[in-house]
Amino acid sequence: MPSSDPPTAEPSPAAAPAPAKANTAKQQKGKEPATSTDGSKLSGAELKARAKAEKAARRAQALLEKGTTAPVAAPIPGQQPKTEGQKGPKAQHKRGNSMSLEVRNVPVRGSQKAAPVVPAEPKKEDKTVEFFRHLYKLRTTSIAGASKEVHPAVLALGLQMSNYTICGSCARLVATLQAFKRVIESYTTPPQNSLSRHLTSHVLSPQIEYLSSCRPLSISMGNAIRWLKLEVSKVDVSVPDAEAKKSLCDAIDVFIRERITFADQVIARSAADKIKDGDVIMTYAKSSIVQRALIRAHEEGKKFRVIIVDSRPLHEGKHLAAALVKIGMDVKYCLINGLSHNIQDVTKVLLGAHAMMSNGRLFSRIGTALVAMEANEADKPVIVLCETIKFTERVALDSIVHNEIAPADELVIPGGPLEKWGDIKKLQLCNPMYDVTPADYIQMIITESGNVPPTSVPVLHRLGNESQG
Amino acid sequence: MASLGNIPQNEKSKSFDIVETYHRLLNEDPDLTMPVAAIEALIELLVQSRAVTVYETLDLVKTQSDYLKSRIPNSISLSAGTDLFQRYMISSLKPSSTGNFETVRQHLLSNGRLFVSRAKAGRERIAAYGRHFVRDGSVVLTHGGSRVVGALLGKAAEASKSGGNVRFKVIYVINDARSSESKAVVFALRAKGVPVATISEGAVGYAMGKVNLVIVGAEGVVENGGIISRLGTYQIALLAKAAGKPFYVAAESHKFVRLYPLGQYDLGIDQEVIEFKTEDEDDLSPEERKFAERTPTIEERKEYFDTGIDLPKPNTAVDAVDFTPPALVLALITESGVLTPSAVSEELISVWW
Repeated sequence: MPSSDPPTAEPSPAAAPAPAKANTAKQQKGKEPATSTDGSKLSGAELKARAKAEKAARRAQALLEKGTTAPVAAPIPGQQPKTEGQKGPKAQHKRGNSMSLEVRNVPVRGSQKAAPVVPAEPKKEDKTVEFFRHLYKLRTTSIAGASKEVHPAVLALGLQMSNYTICGSCARLVATLQAFKRVIESYTTPPQNSLSRHLTSHVLSPQIEYLSSCRPLSISMGNAIRWLKLEVSKVDVSVPDAEAKKSLCDAIDVFIRERITFADQVIARSAADKIKDGDVIMTYAKSSIVQRALIRAHEEGKKFRVIIVDSRPLHEGKHLAAALVKIGMDVKYCLINGLSHNIQDVTKVLLGAHAMMSNGRLFSRIGTALVAMEANEADKPVIVLCETIKFTERVALDSIVHNEIAPADELVIPGGPLEKWGDIKKLQLCNPMYDVTPADYIQMIITESGNVPPTSVPVLHRLGNESQG
Repeated sequence: MASLGNIPQNEKSKSFDIVETYHRLLNEDPDLTMPVAAIEALIELLVQSRAVTVYETLDLVKTQSDYLKSRIPNSISLSAGTDLFQRYMISSLKPSSTGNFETVRQHLLSNGRLFVSRAKAGRERIAAYGRHFVRDGSVVLTHGGSRVVGALLGKAAEASKSGGNVRFKVIYVINDARSSESKAVVFALRAKGVPVATISEGAVGYAMGKVNLVIVGAEGVVENGGIISRLGTYQIALLAKAAGKPFYVAAESHKFVRLYPLGQYDLGIDQEVIEFKTEDEDDLSPEERKFAERTPTIEERKEYFDTGIDLPKPNTAVDAVDFTPPALVLALITESGVLTPSAVSEELISVWW
């Protein structure tokens, strides 16, 4: 077997790292002798991989002894000594170069394989929905346990984000940049260090980590943070601290002004141009940029009606409705179950965006895809209002791979039948925040650099980044 | 030249009538398209202008373009030309291009002329690309009086004459109100030995089963890759889609226009196509009837444009255009290659950034 096996062992890279990890799956065990005997050289990368595997195994062991349920490496006690014992022969493994890379992947793979085993122990029922299980994250809802490096302004911001006081892609982006400005202002470079090397890794990173623990970062925040890190790295070492800090803060101000404030003005103007007398505009939930466009069109004296479609649990549309009614606009408010009835009167649908994916798909508040689909069915044009800062090079085929899961308890109405849903067996609640609208349903995207079809998202994204960096 | 100063120069540019020039250019050369005529008119304006600064020149071109647009009933196609020219001027009059203004202006003029001659040559290149779409034994359905389509089919017919084995037939959709413009193309094709059937617009659905592909021209190609073309194009595209027949558009890339219509009624021009009436009266006034029955040759255009009206009349049903959304267009045959509708947006972005 050993000498004849390589054809099967060689082409499958999955088999190579298998012995290196403590919690290998059972079916891979059969291959271990085969891979272990077909060589005797020991490369540096291999040694490294081995040390790493040993460390991981030790850590897993320690966790197990503590009695905690280790989330990542949760080995089955029975397997532990067995794999430990196999380390000797395994070290003679031949394919060293590719190994170090693969070993790094193993914890992920291992955790997925271990997951079904863990609930086997008698414990509380898993209330997460299987399809979305990779998205569940515990949200930080208090400042307890936050790292001491986190700036008070960021601490406050994190909490505001986690309870939706600051909500909406743009608002969160601006608030984050403002908070980071304060972080930079209060920063002093320690001696023997330079700002461009120290600031990002030691000061900004903990802030970002904390913020993303409160609520996952939005795409636009990711884009802005990437930009900020680039700006920091561009700071010359010889520039004095005060000057560098000032230039960074100024750069942030310029960024907010150009990419958001001015962009919003341009978009609101182009969108208002698209609104004609007699139009009936439908919008979903609340988008600050849609609100601005509607108000602008109203101020220009256009006569049109607005239908706001809204949904639980956030009811963001109520705020929009209130704001529009206040300035005397003709507004109709309905929940998403009234959508197919109301779509008939509509002439245009204006939607906000959380992000625009590179395949032209719209990533936005959950329910948006439904509105776009109904509009498309009824042959009504769907217009997306989106700043180019929200464009991403990523693509999305569905709303499962990339999404954000909000706490399921938000869906529960106090005093309603679901109040004790946690105790009901086999009942799971799922509260995803976003969905993906196919590009076919979108007629136009209004951005600050013009009106484009969804197919041009990657082009604009590229241009936006070129001018940026 | 520069000593004339501001006020005389204004008088000077008043004496130069861009609308008149535009019409004259169209009349002089029947092969000229509207955007190119607009660009040529603007070049003549520059030749005659006494502007001495960059800003003055840009301002002059802008006001004159706007004036020209406001005087023409359907300015979509024409605005593609004026916008392109203005864009070109801005990029070539950048402060970085040093040297005195006069050399810059001369450079601009010579390049502008080059552009016009290239635009004219573009039709030949489109024909060269497009004739490969016409396969042996195929039946092509077309519509309107597009010169590009005429050139394309003519090229395909010539290929069959010169030893190629492309034998094809043409079904020509003819609108009764403006049949003469199509007749010229039909005549030319028949002279080349291509069998041509003429059908009325009502027979398109009936004929679609016999058709292999549809090729039409366009007045303007809009930002999302849809086209603005003679009334009736949209329904042909819909029927072609329903029958699963490929629908191609032959258009020069200078017809790409910065416009993004969301539907038929969002073209930014007034069209008197749908008119509700209760009195039974003649649809067209004698004057309009005369106009409707005109042949679209040079004299007719002159007559139409020389009616002395100050404000342009809205398009009547005869002159109206419709919008064909990009989803119905399979490909656009341009002089820079065969493009998908989504490539139009990218092309426009690359021009305007």
